[in-house]
Amino acid sequence: MEITVSKFDLLKELTATQGVVERKTTIPILSHFLFEAADDKLSITATDLDLGLRTSCPAKVKKEGACTIPARKLYDYVKLLPDGDISIKALENHWVNIRSGRSNTKMVGMARSNFPALPVFPTAGVIKIPAAVLRTMIAKTIFAISSEESRYTLNGALMVLKPESITMVATDGHRLAHIEKAHEAFPDVSDMRTLVPKKAMAELNTLLNSTEADVVEFAKDESTLFFRIGGRVLTSRQLTGQFPNFEAVLPRDNNKFVTVRCEDISSAIQRVAQFADERSGAIKLKLDKGGITVSSSSAETGESEDQIEATYAADPVVIGFNSQYLLDFLKAATGGEVRFEFKDAQSAGQLRPEGNGDAEFKYRYIVMPMRI
Amino acid sequence: MGRIHVLSENVANKIAAGEVVERPASVVKELLENSLDAGARRIRINVEGGGRKLIQIIDDGCGMSRDDALLAFERHATSKIRTAEDLLNVGTLGFRGEALPSIASVSRLRLETHATEEASGSVVEIAGGKIVRVEEAGLPFGTSIAVRDLFFNIPARRKFLKAESTELSHIASVVTNYALAHPEMHFELHSAVNAIIVAPPVASHSERIYQIVGKETLDALLPIAAQIALDRTGLPQPPPWSRKYEDEEEEDTGPTDPGELRLHGFVSKPEVQKLNRNSIFVFVNGRLVRDRLVQHAITEAYRNIIPPTVFPVVLLFLEMPTAEVDVNVHPSKTEVRFRQQSFLHNFVRDSIRAALMKARPIPQFVAEMRANPTASPSLTPGAKMKSDERAETTVVDELGVTQANQEFALHAQSIPAFTQSLGFQDGFSVEANAAIPVARFGPQTFGSHVAEDNCSTPIPEELAPDDTPVLATLKPLGQVRDSFILAVNHEGLWIIDQHVAHERVLFERVLRQRQTEKVEAQRLLMPLVIELTPSQQAAYIEISDELVRNGFEVEPFGTRTIAIKTAPAALESTQIEHLVHELLEEFDREEQLLNMEMIGVRIAASIACHAAIKVNTPLESSKMEWLLKELAKTQSPMSCPHGRPVVLRYSLKDIQKAFKRI
Repeated sequence: MEITVSKFDLLKELTATQGVVERKTTIPILSHFLFEAADDKLSITATDLDLGLRTSCPAKVKKEGACTIPARKLYDYVKLLPDGDISIKALENHWVNIRSGRSNTKMVGMARSNFPALPVFPTAGVIKIPAAVLRTMIAKTIFAISSEESRYTLNGALMVLKPESITMVATDGHRLAHIEKAHEAFPDVSDMRTLVPKKAMAELNTLLNSTEADVVEFAKDESTLFFRIGGRVLTSRQLTGQFPNFEAVLPRDNNKFVTVRCEDISSAIQRVAQFADERSGAIKLKLDKGGITVSSSSAETGESEDQIEATYAADPVVIGFNSQYLLDFLKAATGGEVRFEFKDAQSAGQLRPEGNGDAEFKYRYIVMPMRI
Repeated sequence: MGRIHVLSENVANKIAAGEVVERPASVVKELLENSLDAGARRIRINVEGGGRKLIQIIDDGCGMSRDDALLAFERHATSKIRTAEDLLNVGTLGFRGEALPSIASVSRLRLETHATEEASGSVVEIAGGKIVRVEEAGLPFGTSIAVRDLFFNIPARRKFLKAESTELSHIASVVTNYALAHPEMHFELHSAVNAIIVAPPVASHSERIYQIVGKETLDALLPIAAQIALDRTGLPQPPPWSRKYEDEEEEDTGPTDPGELRLHGFVSKPEVQKLNRNSIFVFVNGRLVRDRLVQHAITEAYRNIIPPTVFPVVLLFLEMPTAEVDVNVHPSKTEVRFRQQSFLHNFVRDSIRAALMKARPIPQFVAEMRANPTASPSLTPGAKMKSDERAETTVVDELGVTQANQEFALHAQSIPAFTQSLGFQDGFSVEANAAIPVARFGPQTFGSHVAEDNCSTPIPEELAPDDTPVLATLKPLGQVRDSFILAVNHEGLWIIDQHVAHERVLFERVLRQRQTEKVEAQRLLMPLVIELTPSQQAAYIEISDELVRNGFEVEPFGTRTIAIKTAPAALESTQIEHLVHELLEEFDREEQLLNMEMIGVRIAASIACHAAIKVNTPLESSKMEWLLKELAKTQSPMSCPHGRPVVLRYSLKDIQKAFKRI
């Protein structure tokens, strides 16, 4: 293999793949990039076996071929090179020669045959999802995914595609984030449910933030999910298992409402939470005619209270919550007003953004109370 | 001709010998007990060939007349009991009248005895159960029995004997046990070549321990003494089948004073940890027994003070009215039955625990850490002397390893051109090696644990000024493998296991919250439905109230299924199922003898364990500071609810020593 590639192009693609390269390597080959040169194109592949990313950049190919290069070292080295062209040449015994201007480096890779084969993007059943929609949905649900490994179906978000809508749901067993976008067109699907692992969600999020493409092509086979974003293809192992029946927990008869500004309640909770138990972050919300009173107390640190004026007509109620759960949502809701909907101190509370911005998204957040 | 016939006495004796005389040590035990029952003050035992060739016991007891000496070899001949009623009140060690004929039937035995009231002594010689010679002789007062060629006529049994040294060690341990139990007597045990035990009479048990096991062990032991009146009122009625028995007996003995239960002896401090139960000696009315009930009580007492798989050194003398204990359970008499089992169990457990708490073992524990930074879990008193050495060698070892690694790395850098893929393998293998110690902490088995005392006993005042500020002055430096916090203060370098430290902090908090009934609980989005086995179901019913008090809200959900709706707030929702299963299994395993408070404590320990940060978790320095501060505030910061140490300390002195500066 012998190619010439511009530093700018190469570095861009190497940066995009960094998140996938295995850091704490147990299998040495996974800390390598696979470089393949053909048809005036350099394809770069990285995988940690759960996730795989394949990307490419234009290159002058003198001699076609493939090689593997230690990922981290190459990335650090290329970053330091001056702008200009870089020539990469595979030598004998897996050695690779990298030249740029007056810099000349040799690195040793591993046999190309060791590199795991990535699944190939299917040709049929490809669904196009608007990138902006997917980006929003990920941002508003990813925080609710459980990071515990034991109940692994909670270790990802559920993506539901219907002919006219897309829904994403994430939960960790205490709270649930649910976002739905209607008026989309997915003609070929009928209620397709996919569990997307948290790691793939995070990687998708970064890829979506650094692309100009406005459509994501999505496909899946029995074991793998595929996302094509511009020239990059992210593959992820699919989570199998039964996502909890989330429809059953969406509250229907919450009859106590109060609407407050997101910033107000968010900063009040942050202040009060300083005096909550470190681990549980327990705070109390009291709703009465005066509005919302946020309070906390702990034997070690003291107690604190914050009041927010708001109109509230129903019977007074006091409900305990984990402050972190509320803050997670308020951060994701990005401003505007938030409507709190409660029933009583034992039942699930529902939060949703009100007014402000895209009403196209139906975003709601269910959070279970605490007994304090 | 009938097929059934009565066995000859000789055969019957050999069968009885199978039960009583198992190995040379059992001969020693039986003869030793005879000597003790004879009121001997001085007992000398000579052993040759591990007891196979010769076992000779010489005492200065009451001796026997010539007729008695001959009668003693008849089956069921004894001086110790007369009627069946006496069986309920056995005050002597022996009573079955089986030992001597049994021993005589499987060996060549020579008995020399001289009763104090007789003018001369007599000699009896028996071989394989047949009397060979009986004659009068001038002898010192007392009895001497020489057992030669044990099992000479039972080759099968002889084959099963272990090596000479093994048999000798069994004999030595029998003699040791009785010597410990009777400090007022003179004991000697001699083998053909050397004196194994020579213990002149002393005034107290502690002096006897000093004589026999040495100062090291004695220093690690705490004396213990307690007594309680045996009062049967308020105790649950015994089950119907034994109630009748008791009534009968009641009539016989009448409304006598039930007497009292006395306990004294020695228990080891928590830093002494043995890998088996062989160092637990229990004497009931002077008789060495292996009783599961008492063993369990001891284990319970040490629960959460030492890890579940290690055992303390315990020397326990229980004294109670002879009617309270039935020794007629097994021919070898190492098993007994107590009439008031749970009463005795709780008495033993609480007495030991009180002694451990009163002696404040925790500061000692720190001292142990000081002396021995490697803190091996198999710390034995004997190994203590070597600990410093060991610490140094470990350090050297580690240095060696690191040096080797560095050299390796240097090699790889200086000649990179030829290493090729080898370079990666090296990197890989080093990584893997380094990961092993951490991996060891991964699959922890969280056994049962109780920290009742840590919460219910007020910590002595001296502890606080003595202990707390030390931890409070710690400054965290960083983490080893994201698992152990390194911290320094003026005393030296400290290593804190972050998981157990956090566990200890949470454990005390959970207990506090539970005491004030202010448990924070988080409702679950979807009830967690768990299926139970029948025994788990039973365990669940047992502990359901306590689960509620700890912040669980659990409802039955059909047969053998429960739905968890609310769980303690500190737990991740995903850990709940595991935790509940673990709790139920644990209670299933040890269903007996648990009171509600202990159940609560165990649940608290489980919750704390599951909620605590794990190893392999990177911590910011502010979090480490917080953890150390909180740890300093806890009541016993030195050991976790499972009994493992939380902190290790390399004192400045140790460090200087290791660098050969002092």
